[in-house]
Amino acid sequence: MIACVAVVGQQNNPLFIESFTEGEDELKFHYIVHCSLDVIQEKVSNPKKTGSAMNETFLGLLYPTEDYKVYGYLTNTRVKFLLVTTDQDVRDIDVRNFFRRFHAAYVDAVSNPFHVPGKRIISKAFTERVGAIVKSFGAPTT
Amino acid sequence: MADAPKKGTLRAAYRRAADIKPRDARTWQVSLNAFAFLFSEMVQYNQTRVDNIAELEHRLEHAGYGVGLRMLELLCHREKGNRREVRLLGILSFVHSTLWKSLFGKVADSLEKGTENEDEYMISEKELLVNRFISVPKDMGAFNCGAYVAGIVKGVLDGSGFPARVTAHFVPVEGQPRPRTTILIKFSEEVLQREARLS
Repeated sequence: MIACVAVVGQQNNPLFIESFTEGEDELKFHYIVHCSLDVIQEKVSNPKKTGSAMNETFLGLLYPTEDYKVYGYLTNTRVKFLLVTTDQDVRDIDVRNFFRRFHAAYVDAVSNPFHVPGKRIISKAFTERVGAIVKSFGAPTT
Repeated sequence: MADAPKKGTLRAAYRRAADIKPRDARTWQVSLNAFAFLFSEMVQYNQTRVDNIAELEHRLEHAGYGVGLRMLELLCHREKGNRREVRLLGILSFVHSTLWKSLFGKVADSLEKGTENEDEYMISEKELLVNRFISVPKDMGAFNCGAYVAGIVKGVLDGSGFPARVTAHFVPVEGQPRPRTTILIKFSEEVLQREARLS
């Protein structure tokens, strides 16, 4: 179950944040996403310590809290995608697929000439597509 | 953008940018005539709203900037095995081959490093596609509509985290009636410092 997805811009400003569980405190997700930004920063500046390639886009599991796991993805333009999920057993390949489709939706939203780069994404089509991607996450693929 | 007009290009252009498969994207063509017409209208539109040449160049560059930002997102998404560019030479070769290929259908003619300064690089082209049907009147001095392409390059560089000043210049070549166009890229201080730290 995906709890929340977020898109954070180059200066760590939030561009899009949407939570998918009712009854949970929205502010808590803002806080979790904000803390994950620190982890991303650390991963990006110390590649040798964490063992990953310096210019890999998928960052993997950022940090697990008591009931959430946070995954990160960094694009070429320093825009970060964050995924907060409550599942305990999430396959790596599922998360990679999710980010791939999410990246496609993001590229479409940014290609809109009326979108101002650096401002929040207000396209309804983008919100719908993200909702569809989230719903099909973790669906058993045979 | 290429020479032969393709049937139904305008309608096909409404397909979603990220839905176009990479295989199709490489052979995607928009008619040159349509683009030249649109570009000439854009130049004329800006010309009536400015007082001097520098302002006109600035506006064209600003128009290209938005294109550059979006092209960067799109190209990085389509490329398989994509890696984020962190080195200077990496991003320059990305601009020189991948960006040029997707915009103009061919790689740029040459990429050179400036001799006087460490932070200058030049991409040259015998004839910029956008300038093909444009001849600048004498009283406009050194104005170059390639400022639009300079804006695109600036957008791509800024988006990847390499702030730079990009300008377009005419460079006369002996033995040829029309001068060559050069895009001059001057990187800012922080880029050079970072590059020195990484190497």
